[in-house]
Formats: sequence, structure tokens, C-alpha cells
Amino acid sequence: MKHPDRREFLHSTAAGIGAAALAGAFPAIASAADASPFKPEKGAELNLLRWKGFVKRDDEIWAENTAKFEKATGVKVKIDALSWPDVTPKAALAAQVGSGPDIIMGWNDDPFVYPDKLVDMTDLAEHIGKAHGGYFDTARTYCYDPEVKRWVSQPIGVTGNALVYRKSWAKEAGFAEFPKDFDGVLKLARGLKKNGHPCGFSLGHAVGDANGWTHWLLWGFGGKQANPDNSIAINSAETAHALEYAKQLHETMIAGVAGWLDPNNNQAFAAGQLGLTMNGISIWASAKDNKEHPELYADTANVVPPIGPSKQHTIFNNFTSAFIFKYSKYPNAAKEYLRFMLDTAQADPWVTGMVGYVTPALKGYADLPVWTSNPNITPYRDAMAGAKFDGFNGKPGKAAAQALDEFVIVDMFADHCVNNVSVKDAIAKAEKRLTTIYKR
Amino acid sequence: MTGRAQILSRLDSPRVLGYVLIAPAAVLLLGLLAYPLVLGVWLSMTSASLGNAGEFVGLKNYATILDDPIFRGAAGFSVLYTVCAEIGKLTLGLALALILNQRFRGYRAARSLMLLPWVAPTVLSALAWLWLLDPQFSALSWLLIKLHLIDTNLDFLGHAWSARFSLIVVNIWRGLPYFAIGYLAGLQGISKDLYEAAAIDGATGWQAFRRITWPLLAPITTILVAFSSIFTLTDFQLIWTMTRGGPTDSTQVFTTLAYQRAITSGQLGEGAAIAIAPIVFMIVLAVIVVRSVRER
Amino acid sequence: MFWRRLRLYGPLALYGVFLLLPFYWMILTTFKPDDELLRTPNPFLIFHVTLGHITGLLRETQFLQWFANTLFVSVASTVVSVFISYITAYAIIRLRFPGSEVVSTAIFLAYIVPPAILFIPLATIIIQLHWFDKLWALVPIYATFLVPFCTWLLIGFLKNIPRELEEAARVDGASNFAIIWRIIFPVAVPGLISAAIFSFTLSWNEYLYALVYMSSSTNKTVSVGMITELIRGDRFQWGQLMAGALIGVLPAVLVYFFFVEYYVAGVSGSVKE
Repeated sequence: MKHPDRREFLHSTAAGIGAAALAGAFPAIASAADASPFKPEKGAELNLLRWKGFVKRDDEIWAENTAKFEKATGVKVKIDALSWPDVTPKAALAAQVGSGPDIIMGWNDDPFVYPDKLVDMTDLAEHIGKAHGGYFDTARTYCYDPEVKRWVSQPIGVTGNALVYRKSWAKEAGFAEFPKDFDGVLKLARGLKKNGHPCGFSLGHAVGDANGWTHWLLWGFGGKQANPDNSIAINSAETAHALEYAKQLHETMIAGVAGWLDPNNNQAFAAGQLGLTMNGISIWASAKDNKEHPELYADTANVVPPIGPSKQHTIFNNFTSAFIFKYSKYPNAAKEYLRFMLDTAQADPWVTGMVGYVTPALKGYADLPVWTSNPNITPYRDAMAGAKFDGFNGKPGKAAAQALDEFVIVDMFADHCVNNVSVKDAIAKAEKRLTTIYKR
Repeated sequence: MTGRAQILSRLDSPRVLGYVLIAPAAVLLLGLLAYPLVLGVWLSMTSASLGNAGEFVGLKNYATILDDPIFRGAAGFSVLYTVCAEIGKLTLGLALALILNQRFRGYRAARSLMLLPWVAPTVLSALAWLWLLDPQFSALSWLLIKLHLIDTNLDFLGHAWSARFSLIVVNIWRGLPYFAIGYLAGLQGISKDLYEAAAIDGATGWQAFRRITWPLLAPITTILVAFSSIFTLTDFQLIWTMTRGGPTDSTQVFTTLAYQRAITSGQLGEGAAIAIAPIVFMIVLAVIVVRSVRER
Repeated sequence: MFWRRLRLYGPLALYGVFLLLPFYWMILTTFKPDDELLRTPNPFLIFHVTLGHITGLLRETQFLQWFANTLFVSVASTVVSVFISYITAYAIIRLRFPGSEVVSTAIFLAYIVPPAILFIPLATIIIQLHWFDKLWALVPIYATFLVPFCTWLLIGFLKNIPRELEEAARVDGASNFAIIWRIIFPVAVPGLISAAIFSFTLSWNEYLYALVYMSSSTNKTVSVGMITELIRGDRFQWGQLMAGALIGVLPAVLVYFFFVEYYVAGVSGSVKE
């Protein structure tokens, strides 16, 4: 990696200001960093597998920070990146064959699928948590294994979800302000449809998008996949309400959502065919780069998805965390690397430079100026605080991960909305499938 | 006789030389194919999951999948996909071969261009199809609307049957040239005298095709269908790229479901059982081919 | 005359449209600005030609490296597989050693084992051999699905070479070695070429093994590199993806353009009665 031009760096991002402000505000952090308890092994070399950044700046700043780490410690780090859904299988393969990258940045329940293959991360997670204001609850759920009473993974953050809509079209449909409840959203969707700017939410096997909005609705109505003891709880009046609501929403949607994969809503929105959808910040952020259609950027807004009858935030995001395999010869170097990368001097420019693509799991980073630098970025800051975890309200782990990977919830919604399966039958099918999954 | 010459002459005996010559293939296939296959079969009879060796459970995984409506759906679609795609590839491929078997200006260019779908990396051409079949941006829908044949965009991949149909068409697109080139080879092996004799007897083109061409192409038909069926039955890239088995598992096939269960969800034992299930069909196909090859 | 032409070129044109449409699409997308992909008065045309996707692909990604990797793996696995298949086929057909029938059946059965079931157990072996993330390891791995097919094809081909050829040589005192290399090999060239073309195509298109067993960006093949590095989150970089697809098709097109006649002749020779 070439040395970044410091001036250009300050110019292109708000990072410099943020870092300076933070270093000033929390001098204790800087000194804590010096006294790191993790000493890299002699001659250590690390191999990191992570997902390809959702935005180029992510990979660039991550590489710059890594170069700083190499310079400071003499430990060489080799980074391989894969498109994000491909990391989970690679990580599973590494766990299976007992060889591969030292550190993997994986998704959701990954560490719970093979906890005994992973290095105990308790010291690191607690050290980092203490230094940066602690973790959001969801992060703890995803990374702390209560059965073995230890942290199995280092929380990093989520690629946050929010509702993305066109302001002028919402106004045209009678909503100068974005609605605050589910009924309002449905009314807005109907208005948008009437004016020829329908909404669109994926009901296909889109890993991020389809799971995102269906879980938001399911939990929003108070439905849940499992109870805390992992007994199946999907068959409820609340789930039925969610399905009925989704069906009405689906009637207002643009055609073809059942075949949508993750890029489809981005493309339809960018083409000006979509009035409302749920997505990460990528739709808004790439609208900024669209020079031919500046109105797209000016007119697009992001909001935190409203709260439903369950009276709490029910956002579902993809959560990412870093875990170290026991086969790694250099676990201490790996821990020091993660500590270094999540320390303010590195994490601040990283989070700031990506402009909201990743919402950190550490509460301390919710105060970075970037989150309030534009009202359209702020909703993504709140994606972590308002988040629930997959399999809610059951235990995180293999069963929850499998239910998610097999699209049980998404397919239940699609069955009712698209395939005209009755509410009762759609729920029964999902319940049967969940029972099988949770039994194995 | 010197030592070296002695070794050489011993090597020259058909028996010894035979074993020496097949040794590389034997080592390769035993080590990297048969051995992992045995491991795979073993895996399908264990409760292994990723990172966990599991224990021997006999045929339990097979019982589980047979009871699983998603697996039964996947098995059904795999067979439907293979049968429909094979019929399509066979008829369209044969017709194309009959066209390409003529000499005309640019026939060489035509032959190599028509082969393109089979030659292009499948994941990348599947992406091109994904865009051509997009619910919002499909150029095909655009064209049909302009021709006033439809009013709104077609939803190619959003409904169970339209998605299945679309995937079969794309599979035919990909495999048709393989049939065409095979049949072209077959046609060139048929002597022109036969057609001339038929013409003297007053046979029509269709009669000549039925009495001469089709019977003489029988051996290559068996081979093409068998090989292509194996490809089609175990197709992964195309479906994984275009639908990931959706909407609502309507386009799952053996391989996509096995990948989902074994890799993304980590149920190795069950995934292996799903992956091994199509071997039953393939052995049937294989027996047909081995028989027909032997008969020759 | 007109009707004859129409009967030839009419169906040919229909086939052309069906078979080549996705490639036309690749060309369009390669040279179209992103915005025009989403909003255009006519999706079948380009209004502002751009070379940005091609230069971007070459500059921002390791496409050339992937391309070189794919070429290396395809050529090497083709050469290795065709060689192994040739000697195996010869041994089975001509040196009727005990068990040759069994070997021939076993090799055919090997062909029906799909990669989708092998790659997990095979991964264990690859790791134990320390072949993981080593580009050349794809050569023996690809050979596992190339050798069965090529051997089968060559068995058919060699069967149709008249025995008199080698018997005459044998009378002249030629050894089996000499017969394999000097007598049979030149006659078998069309069959070898069609086996080679087939192998090259399959290696060039392979995806699953390369995806799972290679991890460094510098060791990726074209298909794997494109899919794993040009899809950023929820955005496909269509222009670059299609540009890469287009360039990725070229070598195979060239191979077929020059060798298609040999290929046809080779297959023809191996399925003759």
C-alpha cells in the first residue's frame, strides 16, 4: 500500500477532525493503547480473510491501517477478500479441515457453529469493550457463548439497514414526514403505488435484503422464531398479523420482487422506478456519485424503520465479527492486530471514511462526527442499537444460522404473499421446517 | 543383454507395459476421486457437521431427506430440469447440426460462433442472462412491449413455474451447441451414397432422415444424452447464480440444496446424502452408455 | 434460389439470435456507461460509448493475473490429461492385460461423480498434501474429471485405427514404445485434438474447485476472481463484469475458430461404427 497523502486524506474525509477531537476528548484511550496486553509472537505472520468492502474506501483504509500495524509491530499481514456471502462457506471449510486463515471476519452466528475450534477471545473482547464504551446488546449475543461462558469472537459491527425512500414522492402521497408506524408505512406504500412509484422489498433468496425486511415485520408485530429455550414459537397470532400485513404491502409493490437478489432493489431505485425500499446505505451513497441524475441524491432519504405493535426497534442487519482459529500459530499477534484495528486511531478513519457502511458494535464509536454530518447517515448509526439477532428470541447458534441460511422466514412470507398459501399453511410449513432444524 | 536393455524388453511385454501405462490414471483417480468419494459416502452415513466429526448413523440421513418436502421438491425439479433440457437440447441441437452440415459462405465462422454458449464461462454468461431476465430492466420484456405483445414486464424469475421454465431455457441455450457439434461429427460419418440411393428410390427428405440419418445417429445420441444428462443433473453454477434455489425453494436441485445444507448451514452428513442421491440416476445412465459402447 | 437461401439462412438467423443474444448483451454492457444501463430509450443500443469499464477492469483489479492463471491451469491440465488419457486408452485397447475391461468400466464410472459432492472430502486431502491455495494444484484436480472423458473418447478413436498399421510395424521389429509414439500417435492426432479442446473448455469454465481451493487474489481464475471481487456488497459492477466475461470468452473462441474442424473430425472418428 502506498503512503496516503496526509493532506488529501484529511480533505477527502472528515476523519482528521474526528480523530483529533476524539484523541482530545479521551486522552486515556491513547495511553491505554500503549499498554497493550497482547504481545505478538516472534516472527509472527498473519493471514486475514475478510469480506470485500461494500465500498472501495473500506478496503483502502483497512489496508492503510494494516500497513501501519505492520510497521509498528513487524508482523506481516496478508489480506484476502471475498464477496460477502462467500466468506461463511470458506470459514466453515477452514473449521472443518483445521487449516486456513488465522483470522476470519465472518457473519452472524458463524462463530457459534464451531465454537470449540476458536480461540478464547474473552481477554480481547473485554479489553476492547472497556476502552471504547462497551458493546451493544446484540453484539454480545452474537459473540459471547453463555454455555462455555466465554467470548468466541470479537464484535465488529453491522452493515446497517434502514428504509430508503424518495422524499418528493412521499410528499406527493401525503407524507411530508415519514410515517411513524406500520399503518402509516402501508398508507404511504399505497399512495406511492397509486402515483406510479411503487415500493419494493425482496421476497427471493436475497441474503441481505429479503431477510432484512421480513424479520423487521415479523418481530415488529411481536412474532418470533423461537423461545429463549429454543422451543419453536413461530406459530402465533403475531406471526399471522405480520403475514397479513406483508401481503397488503406486497400488493403495492413493483412487479417481480419474488425473484429479487440483493442488487435488484439498488438498481430499480437508481433507475428511479422505486419509491421505497429497505437497504444498507449503498443506495444513497451511490446516488451521490450519479452525476447524470443529481435529483436522485437530493431526493433520497434514509430513516430508521418504524416501531410496530411490539413497541421496540426490530431491525435486522448482518452482523460481522472476527474470530481466530485454534490452529493459528500466532493467536497473540492476531489479537493484537484486531485490538490495533479497532483502536480509535485506526477505527475512526475507517468508520468515517466508509461513511456509514459499517456501524461499529462499540458504543464509543456512535459518537463519531460522521454519524451526524448528514441526517441521512444518522439512521445507520442507530441500526446497531435497534437491532435484534437472527433466531430471535431463541439462542444464537447453529440452528438459528441454519434457519437463516435456508430462508425459512423469507419463504414463509413469500409463500403467503406470492404463492397464495394461506396464513395458516405458510406458518405450519415454517414451523415444521424450524422443528426439524432445531432438532438436529 | 545389458541390464538396461533387459528392463526395456521386460517393459515391452504387453502385460507389464499395460500396468505401467494405466498407472498415472489409476493413481490420480484412486487418490483424488475414489478416495474422496468413499469419504463422501461415509460422511452421508454420519451425523457430521462442520467442525464436528459426528458419529455413524447408518441410513438415517437418507430417511430424513426422503421425509423432507424440500428435498422431494428438489429431486422432482432436478429430474424435470434434466428431462426437459435434454429434449430441448437434442431436438434443437440436431436441427442446428443439420443446418451446419451444409457448405455455405461463412460456415466455419458460423460453426465456431454457434458454439459460444458452451464455451463461455457459465457463471459469467449466467450473469448476462440474469440481466436479460431482470424483472425491471429486461431487454426482452422491453422488446415484447414495443411489439405490443405484452403490456407489462414479464416476471421471468419471480414465480415458481416461470423461474423453472427460464432456467430450463438457459440450460438448453448452454448445452445445445454441445449436441450440435456432436451430431455434426455423427453426420459427417454417414456416407453420401446412402442418401443418393434413397433419392433414387424416391424417398422424401423426411423419409431419408427417418430411415437413414436418425438410425445411424443412434450411437452418438446415446452418448450425447448420457453425458449431457450427467452435466445437467449436477448443474450448480447456473441455478446458484440466477436464483439460489428461489423463489421459495421452487428451483432447488440436488446440488444447490446439498451446497446449502452442507456448506452454508454446515450439515455435512445430510448435505452429503443429498449430493449422493443423484448418483442413483447417474448409474442408470452409465449402465445404458456402457452397454451401448460395448455393443459396438 | 431465394427459397433455398431462405431455408438455410432463416433458421440460422433464428439460432444466431437465441445463441448469441447474451454475448451481444455482454458487448453492450461493456461499452455502456452505468447510468445508461438503467435508463435508456432503447436497451439494444449504446448512446455514449465508454471504454471506462475495460480500463477499470485492467487497472483496478488483478484481471490480467487471473487471466494468466486460467490460461496456465487450462493449458497444463489439458496437456497432462490428454497425455495420461492417451497412454491409458492405448493400454486398454491394444495391450489386453488382465483386468483391462474392469479398468475401462471404472474409468467411465469415474466420470459420473459430480464435483459438488467431492469438494468437501477432497478439501481434507488437499490440505493434508499442502496443496491448498497453490495454483498448480488445480492441474491434478481438474485432471480427475478430464481424464475419464478423454480416455473414453480416445478409446473410441483408437478402436477405429486399423490394426494392420501396428502389426506391420511389429513385423519390422518395432517395440511397443515405438508403436505408441511413432505409429499410432500421428494417426490419433484428430482424436487428441478433440480431447484437448474438450479439456480446455471444461478447465476454462470450472468454478467450484477453484472457488474453494484457491484463496489468494493472485491465485484466482477468471470466473472466481470476477465473482468474488467484482460484486461489492449489493452492487454488481455490471460493466466490468461483462467486460471480463467478454475477454474471458476470447481464448476459447480462438481455439474453436481454428480447431473446430479437427474437433468434429475427432469426435466423428471416435463414434464411427
